[in-house]
Amino acid sequence: MRWLTLYLRSRRVPAALAGAAAGIAVMWVLGAATSDSAPGRTMVVLTVLLLTGVLTATLGGPDEELDRTAALPWAPRRIAHLLAAVTVVAGLPLLTQLTPTGFGPAGLVIRDAAGLLGLTALSAPLLGAGRAWFAPLGWTLAATIYPAAGQVLGQMLTWQTQAPGNVPAAVTAATLACGGLIAYAVAGPARHERSDAATVVMARAWRGQAG
Amino acid sequence: MSRILRIELRRSAALWAGLILLVAGVVMCYVAPQRWSSGWMALAMIEREYLMAMAPLALSAGAWQGRRESRAGLSELVESTPRPRLQRVLPVLGALGLAVIGGYLAVLAVTAPWIAGTARYLPAAAFAVVTVGALTVAAAAWLGIAVGRLWPSIAAGPVLACAGIGWLMGFPAAARGQQWLGMLFSPMYGMSQFSDYETVSGRLTAAQAVWLVALVVTVYVLHGAERRRARMAALLPLVLGVAVAITVLPHDRSVEHAIDPVAQELVCTTDAPKVCVARVHSALLPEVTPQARQALALLARLPQPPAEAHEDTATWGSGVPEPGPDPAGVALMTFAVDARGHLAFPDDLVPRTVGRVLANVGRCPGGLDSSILRAATYWLVGTEPPDEPGVDDDRWNDHVRQLWQGLRKLPEARALARVTAVREGALRCADLEGMLSDA
Amino acid sequence: MRMVRAADTAPTAYPWIVQADGLRVKAGTHLAVDGLDLALGTGVHALLGPNGAGKTTLMRALATVVKPVGGTLTVLGAPVHGRAELRRVRRALGYLPQHFGFYPRFTVREFVEYVAWLKEMPKPEVPAAVQRAIDRVGLAAKADARMKTLSGGMLRRAGIAQAIVNDPELLLLDEPTVGLDPEQRLDFRELLRDLGVDSCVLVSTHLVEDVVAACTDVVLLNEGRLVHSGTTASLIAEGGSSDAGDSPAERGYSALLRRHRAEAGR
Repeated sequence: MRWLTLYLRSRRVPAALAGAAAGIAVMWVLGAATSDSAPGRTMVVLTVLLLTGVLTATLGGPDEELDRTAALPWAPRRIAHLLAAVTVVAGLPLLTQLTPTGFGPAGLVIRDAAGLLGLTALSAPLLGAGRAWFAPLGWTLAATIYPAAGQVLGQMLTWQTQAPGNVPAAVTAATLACGGLIAYAVAGPARHERSDAATVVMARAWRGQAG
Repeated sequence: MSRILRIELRRSAALWAGLILLVAGVVMCYVAPQRWSSGWMALAMIEREYLMAMAPLALSAGAWQGRRESRAGLSELVESTPRPRLQRVLPVLGALGLAVIGGYLAVLAVTAPWIAGTARYLPAAAFAVVTVGALTVAAAAWLGIAVGRLWPSIAAGPVLACAGIGWLMGFPAAARGQQWLGMLFSPMYGMSQFSDYETVSGRLTAAQAVWLVALVVTVYVLHGAERRRARMAALLPLVLGVAVAITVLPHDRSVEHAIDPVAQELVCTTDAPKVCVARVHSALLPEVTPQARQALALLARLPQPPAEAHEDTATWGSGVPEPGPDPAGVALMTFAVDARGHLAFPDDLVPRTVGRVLANVGRCPGGLDSSILRAATYWLVGTEPPDEPGVDDDRWNDHVRQLWQGLRKLPEARALARVTAVREGALRCADLEGMLSDA
Repeated sequence: MRMVRAADTAPTAYPWIVQADGLRVKAGTHLAVDGLDLALGTGVHALLGPNGAGKTTLMRALATVVKPVGGTLTVLGAPVHGRAELRRVRRALGYLPQHFGFYPRFTVREFVEYVAWLKEMPKPEVPAAVQRAIDRVGLAAKADARMKTLSGGMLRRAGIAQAIVNDPELLLLDEPTVGLDPEQRLDFRELLRDLGVDSCVLVSTHLVEDVVAACTDVVLLNEGRLVHSGTTASLIAEGGSSDAGDSPAERGYSALLRRHRAEAGR
């Protein structure tokens, strides 16, 4: 349990969770204030993007090189981290479904959460945890501005905004999710960030506990 | 200062930000060139609409730069130096501001050659529209730096981008029916043109410029103020700017889809028969003239044929009076501009113009039998009527063809008499049933 | 040696470059400097003391980064409290903080130029002064390399370069020899001796050999109070063979601290 607490603190997870909760609260209030019925699809997609962006920061610790010297295997822990993240990103909007302004439908939320987090996890080994949000942001921005075309390719390219049952979109999201999971679990985030002295001390503390 | 500015331009995120804005803008524009191919004003307005992506990108770029500044850890060193904070922040702000404005303007430079040959009408309002767009991206970038400095988390970039796009798209929706309010505070809203003669109301541009400049000043003071009280005072220009902007703008519907009367003015050929197009389409005159004159020649067989062909510059919308009946002696043409800036569907212009003269378009409350009118039109034109686009009913299309073939079988004079009868019936809004068939 | 300007040849209106009377400075909520009396003139002064003695806080107060909460502090003849004179004082200041922050993508030359601009150096003088500062710290070969490619020692030397670019009258160096190899430390001592001829240099360090070799006097702090102020010879004289330490200066150091802690305990 101690290890878990220190790990979460080194990744700044409490702050990210608080930010995610604040984010969904703000979007929920905006949704309730601006429309009488459930929020539109664009708003739901943007909310999922917002939550993904907030949780992106937790994908990398302050000193990746230090983390890699650990004796314990990282892959299962990274997988668990991603699965927990997708639960949060999908779960928070689904929670709002208990209220009249529910962010949904559930299929859309789950698909977009898995796909966007997968894309983030895929970018992390390539660009580093600090830059992993470039691809999801850019792609989703483009997808919201140019909504679906009729053909399969158009639906794949704008998969975030497609209807929940759409097959090409689901396939794209699933591919991104699986690819991201595997890439991140195997490779981990790239070594870009400089270390911050205080958090290095903390990171050393939890490594000592585990080793 | 200029040396430091150059260093910052080279070494900070500025050039990347400008490049991203340029690429995003160019890609978005060229994906759908038909939206802006009609002229310079259209290009300016559509680029403003794509602020929907460019402003959030500028916000993220600013947040990235702000985070870098914050993480560099120079604050202790910098606080021991004499240069006042207001001057200290200028290189970073200046570099990013120049780069994003440069990116925004470079989009225009890259898309301008596409329509350079066909766009002739360049109103001063277009420059004003571009200026407001440039101010918006600069303000977004500076705001991003401020947020990134205060909150140097990785999440600042995506959160700001979502907030930006949420504001730009959501504020007009939240303004719920107050279009003027939505257009004022969301510079990307209301920029799609319903007609090619649209412009952006000067008052709207002025109001937007006021509050954007106020925002820029506020953000600069926030960056440069040393003490907390000064930062609180920074909000004053913003509040003032917003208040002035709201006051300057009329709160009615006159700001939406404002029509530029100069764009609507007719530009005509010098020789007869006269063919006129709107000023905004003046480059199309050479393409339109032969077709228009051909239509006039075809219509000359009718009694009291039109002598001139003009473009129909009527627009629809609130506050615009209902257009009256087509003026006598003038054939009105409607045409569109294709993705390359030339006449769209050039083969359609002649039948459309002839049909309109024949049909006394839209003035009869009960409507007229369109199949008869179509058959008569294509008899005058002399070609087989193609399937009407948008009508799936094969029987209707076959009926039209049947009527047309019936006319063709008749000798010239009799067919012409029937067509003339159709025309006069249309002018009287009479029932055209059976006029073309053997009674 | 530094360039002599017209203002330098004018007689100074103040007796000491740094003068502190009963100085009290807080670091966060903790009173790090507690009633310090200090007077520093031209020369190289070493600031010694255990961790937490208030050395860094004193440096920050002298660099006008932190305002004192009690007592008086006069730097270059101007009281630190007044805002009007601070700009003049800061133009003649050079500071290398302990946690030296830098812009990783700037080259060394660009960074030193940036700091020269921050110190409001006259524009025509900047390029020559930057080159001179980089040469003096021995980074001429790496002048156009990005700072993120530099090793720890080279970064520290770049930090020293930015501190001396404006030929300051008061130079504050907090742990300047961190990461320097022995040869570079020798060069640095030479630089210090050179700098100490015309300006007041205050070096905070843990390396006692550097103190003995390059510094003219020593200021020893413990728990925010002054323990000893005098020449390095006087520091050595305080130590005896029974004190902990491998060199005479270290023995003097531990002797003074032991005595101070004993007195404080009473």
